[in-house]
Formats: sequence, C-alpha cells, structure tokens
Amino acid sequence: MARIGIEPGLLSAVEFDGVSLSMPRSKRRGGQGTRHRIRRLAGESSRQQVPVLTDLSTSIQPGESVAILGGAKSGRHEFLRLAAGTLIADSGRVRRQARVVPIIDDSRCLTAAYTTRQNIYLTAGLLGMTPGETAQRLDWIVEMAQAGKWLDTYLRGAPRNLRQRLVWTISMATEARIFVIEKSLVVGHGEFMERCWSHVEGLRAAGVTFLVTSDEPADLERFCDRALVLRGGKILADTSVEKGLGLVRPPLRTDPTDQPEDRDNN
Amino acid sequence: MGIVWKNRQVLRMLVLRDLQGKYRNFRLGYLWSILEPLGMTFVLWFVFSILLGGRKLGEQPYFLFLSIAILPWWWFTKGIAASTRAFRGNMAPLKVSLLPTEISVIRVLLVSMADFALSLPIIVIAMIVTWTFPGPLIVLFPVAIVVQVMLMYGVGLFVASVSALVPDFARIVRIVLRAMFYLTPVLYSIANIPVGARDISALNPLVSILGLYRIGFWPTETEGAAPLAIGLGVTAAFTIVGVMTFRRLEPRILKEA
Repeated sequence: MARIGIEPGLLSAVEFDGVSLSMPRSKRRGGQGTRHRIRRLAGESSRQQVPVLTDLSTSIQPGESVAILGGAKSGRHEFLRLAAGTLIADSGRVRRQARVVPIIDDSRCLTAAYTTRQNIYLTAGLLGMTPGETAQRLDWIVEMAQAGKWLDTYLRGAPRNLRQRLVWTISMATEARIFVIEKSLVVGHGEFMERCWSHVEGLRAAGVTFLVTSDEPADLERFCDRALVLRGGKILADTSVEKGLGLVRPPLRTDPTDQPEDRDNN
Repeated sequence: MGIVWKNRQVLRMLVLRDLQGKYRNFRLGYLWSILEPLGMTFVLWFVFSILLGGRKLGEQPYFLFLSIAILPWWWFTKGIAASTRAFRGNMAPLKVSLLPTEISVIRVLLVSMADFALSLPIIVIAMIVTWTFPGPLIVLFPVAIVVQVMLMYGVGLFVASVSALVPDFARIVRIVLRAMFYLTPVLYSIANIPVGARDISALNPLVSILGLYRIGFWPTETEGAAPLAIGLGVTAAFTIVGVMTFRRLEPRILKEA
C-alpha cells in the first residue's frame, strides 16, 4: 500500500524529498554470453548495488509538463518509475497528489495468447481500472487505437504496432491527472500520431500533469515547459527545455545513425 | 484482507482469466478440475488400501478418509508451488502495475483455491457411495478452510518473495513440499504417528488443519485442544513472518522487474 500512496492534500503534483536509490547491476552487463560467463566465474560481475539517484529533491506542480533529460544511465528511467510508484526509494520519500499512470514504451504487459478485448481489460486492470470502468471506455479505446478489426482475435495475429497503440490508449483511458510518458511520446505513425498529439494537447490545456522522457528533442521542445537534467544521480539543472537540451545535446543527437547510443534498456 | 476487497473486481477478472486459460485447450474443460483429483485419489486409494491393505492405515472407509485430506493438501501444494512463480514468472506487469504488489500472490492462491472448490463434490460423492455421514463437528470444516487460507497467505508471500530474488529457492520448496506430504497425516491417521513424535508433529500446522477437516467424521483425528492451539499459533506465526518478509523484500523485488 505504501508503494502507491496518494496524498490528496499535497500541493505539488509529485514531490521528491531527499530520495536515494541504488539498483542491482543489470544482468546483461559485461558483454555477450561467453564473456559474461567468464567474468562471472572470475567473480567480477557480481550483482552489487550501483547508486542511481542520490539525495534528490524536487517538486512538480500540477499542470506542468516536465521533460526529464539525461544521458544513458542518468537515472531518468528510475526517476519516472519512482514517480509512478513502481519502485520504492531506499531512503527519502516520494509523495504524489493523485494516481500517476505510466505510459511505457514496451508492450510486454500484453499477452499474445489473449484476445485484444481481454488484453484491454487486463492492462486497464493493472492500471487500477475496474472492469466496469473499462467497459464504459471500451468504445473510446477501440476507436482511438483503431483496434475494431482485431477486437476479438488473438493479439498474436494482430499487427505489431497495434500493441503500442493499445498500451498508449489504455493508459490514456484511465483519465488520470498525472501521466508519466517514457521514451516514445507518441507512438505509431501518421494519423494516429496526430490524434495522440491533439489528445495530449487537450489534456494539457485541462491542467493534466506530464512527466516525459523522449529521445526526440523536437517532441520535448513542442510539448514541455520545464526540463530537469539528471546527471550522476543528482539534478544538474532545472531550466527551460532549450537550455536543458543544450546541456545534454551530445548524447541526444537527432542524427538517426547515432540513435542506438542512447538506449538504456533496463 | 482489505486489499482483496478493494481490488475484488480486478482480482475476479484475473482469476477467471487464469482458470479459462488453464482449461481452454482441453475437450472436457472444467470437468478436469474434478476428474484429475478423482483419478489421483483412486490411484492412491488402490495402492494403499488394496495393494498394501495389510497394515491398518487411517480409518474406514479409507476412500473418504483419504479424499477429505488429500484435496486440501493438493490445494496447499499447488498454491505454494504456483507462488514460487508469482513474481518471478510474471515480472513485466510489476513494472507498470499500479495494483498492490501482493495481488500477484493472491491471484495464484485464489486460482488454486478455485480448483479446490471445484473438486469438493468428490467428498460428497465419496460420502454417498460409502454411505457415511458426518457428526455435528463438521461445522469445523469451514474453520479449517479459513485457517488454511491464512497459512497459505503467509507461506505463499514468503515463498514468492524469496524465490523472486533467489531462483534456487523454488527447487527447495518443491522438495520440502514432497517431504511434507509423507510427514503429514494425509495417507495415514494421526494415530499412526509414533507417540514420541507427536509433540513435534503438533508444530506442523497442517496436522491441525487436516485434523479439523476430518474431525466431523472421526473425532479421534485431533489430539484435543492443546495441539490444536499450537497449530493455530504456528499458523499465525507463519502468516506474520510471511507478511513481514514480503514487506522487507518488496523494494528489492520491484528493482528486479
């Protein structure tokens, strides 16, 4: 219960109060299979704790759209998970005014062996919606994600990008007041992207709070009005988006050939 | 238990989905939840009553004696074995899920409990076939279910948390469960336990629980109030230890996701 505690009386939307967190070193570290195995035999890559965030304090006001910037391993992924409550800080407190709903890049929470309809109910359930609430918003979800054709077929056979559209739309259907958007601000392509954009703009105008990471500077510039730059587990800067992007420009190149550099797939 | 009530609708959906998925590919569907334990009970009954019938094991009619304890026993083992995978086999949702973390464990425990409930008609059939009916103490049957739920909640949380962090633990659990099957009076009666070992066996909470299931038919199946109280105490201790272990390990489990 403590994990996703909500304090309706809180003035800021999300508040970090002296938060420290260390994570076990990723299992995939240390190169490919053989190399990794040798290192493990040598006792080199034991799973010690690596500090990710140290004594971090900040607060995010309701209605703000904040870009969380920083290179790979800067801890922005953990920052967002702490905000949503899917991680617990080692010390310090994270407080939130309302439910924080994560919109995640990967769609691993969907099950290919279930139908699209079943997946919608299950994922919405994970995000705290009762089946009754989901049923009310089912039409909207189907319409938005353009899932009508595959509603009662197994997700296994549906196109790959349907999953991303679904995850995005189901999260939005929670009608939360605070969202955490990771990596891909708007997924899919063409028409769907535009519809997502207008939906998000509408929510912003209505005073919904967003916490965003993205590898697309253009998205952030268009969408956010404040940037938090993380480096070495601390907040390096709390500025406007342009200045913040200037600080982390090297790892955030727009050149598509350099893209893989900034993928911290935790 | 507030968690269960608060999330009852989502839980109901998750459990129904799991049950559906479990029986979907079989021609006989849900019938298997009754046929499988029935078949297994028949095998054990045949071996221990017909083939090895020389020694007196338990009470008569043996089939009823066996089935009334072995169904709760299977509920216990299946639930605990499934708990080892509650977090480990299901890490992806933890990254997104806004439900309390315990839900994963409660979900697999409820699935095993639903299987148990579906297999209960076997006991009724056994009663009718053998024409044996219980005395007034059968009211303790639901009490036994409640105690077992408590025990399984504690043990399940403990097993799920530890095996999320140490995968090897799941193997140990399986061996321990197998050992417990023979150390607990399932196949035999409490009277078959050597007198010297009875004090130790009172510490096994399942001895008291199975005794409570059987007491309606055979009042000698519990050793009186003192061992029962010990069994209940141990159950409560298991529940508290399980919940506390989970509380301690929850941050680390979430980091693994």
